[in-house]
Amino acid sequence: MFSLATLLYLSALLFSIGTYGVLARRNILVVLMSLELMLNAVNIAIVSFGRAHALTAFSGEHGGQIFTLMVLAVAAAEAAIGLSLLLVIWRRWKSIDLRQLCQLNG
Amino acid sequence: MSPVMEHLFFGLAAVVATVSSLLVVTRRNPIYSALFLIVMLSAVAVIFMLLDAVFLGFMQLLVYAGAIMVLYLFVIMLINPRDGDLSDEGGAPERAFAAGVALLIFSLLSFAISHSQQVEKLDSAGSIPALAAVPDSHGSVASFGLELFHNHLLVFELTSVLILVGIIGAVHLAMRRRSTSRSPSTVGDGQVTVDV
Repeated sequence: MFSLATLLYLSALLFSIGTYGVLARRNILVVLMSLELMLNAVNIAIVSFGRAHALTAFSGEHGGQIFTLMVLAVAAAEAAIGLSLLLVIWRRWKSIDLRQLCQLNG
Repeated sequence: MSPVMEHLFFGLAAVVATVSSLLVVTRRNPIYSALFLIVMLSAVAVIFMLLDAVFLGFMQLLVYAGAIMVLYLFVIMLINPRDGDLSDEGGAPERAFAAGVALLIFSLLSFAISHSQQVEKLDSAGSIPALAAVPDSHGSVASFGLELFHNHLLVFELTSVLILVGIIGAVHLAMRRRSTSRSPSTVGDGQVTVDV
């Protein structure tokens, strides 16, 4: 049960749930949260591959974990920038509905 | 920990992660979504710790469930959308399209996983803890930090630049400037005003 394939299936499942959230929801906040969900699904895959290849990997014993730590840092920066963009959008249009923010359409 | 307990905890964490991520994408109120996302991130941290990545699991709890989710909750409470502001979510065709795309991605990924010879070869050696017998110090702060600062120092330093850019960008975007705020009526009560 606790095999590499199971972990990869779990990762794929969480990634598709995140995809559904990004595509189906209109609230920007929930779309950003679904993005975090997808990042975490990928993190599970990276860590389990890193664990399975811990003794043979070129990048060293902790290569997968260090990669995941970098993804964590990118996610933190992305959340900070995304949420401040959301604040600007809220001040400007008083709405966080993605479908109403279509002024760039022709 | 005995292997049986490890399997049990992994199954529990996997079920909790799946159910709470489903709740994240289906709840209408963003506060409930954020709270279920915290549950999901904690379950992922448990999975990391079961994979011998103890330090990474604690980082996940601290950075994600701690810092990032507090930021989300803070923004939700700052903009405080009322019921009327939350428009109806997408209709049935929109949701069906999204579910179709998600199902397509999942079936493609599971097809790839089930047909990968590499994964099959690794899996035939047994479950993950038995697959690669790492030393006891694997994933501890000492060995993780030694490897990070010996082999990946440049990446680590570049991360600090990324975070710095993130901070400056966030402060610059969220700062309220009088010259650019077109409608003074949108200035709400109780909001922090930063003058340049």
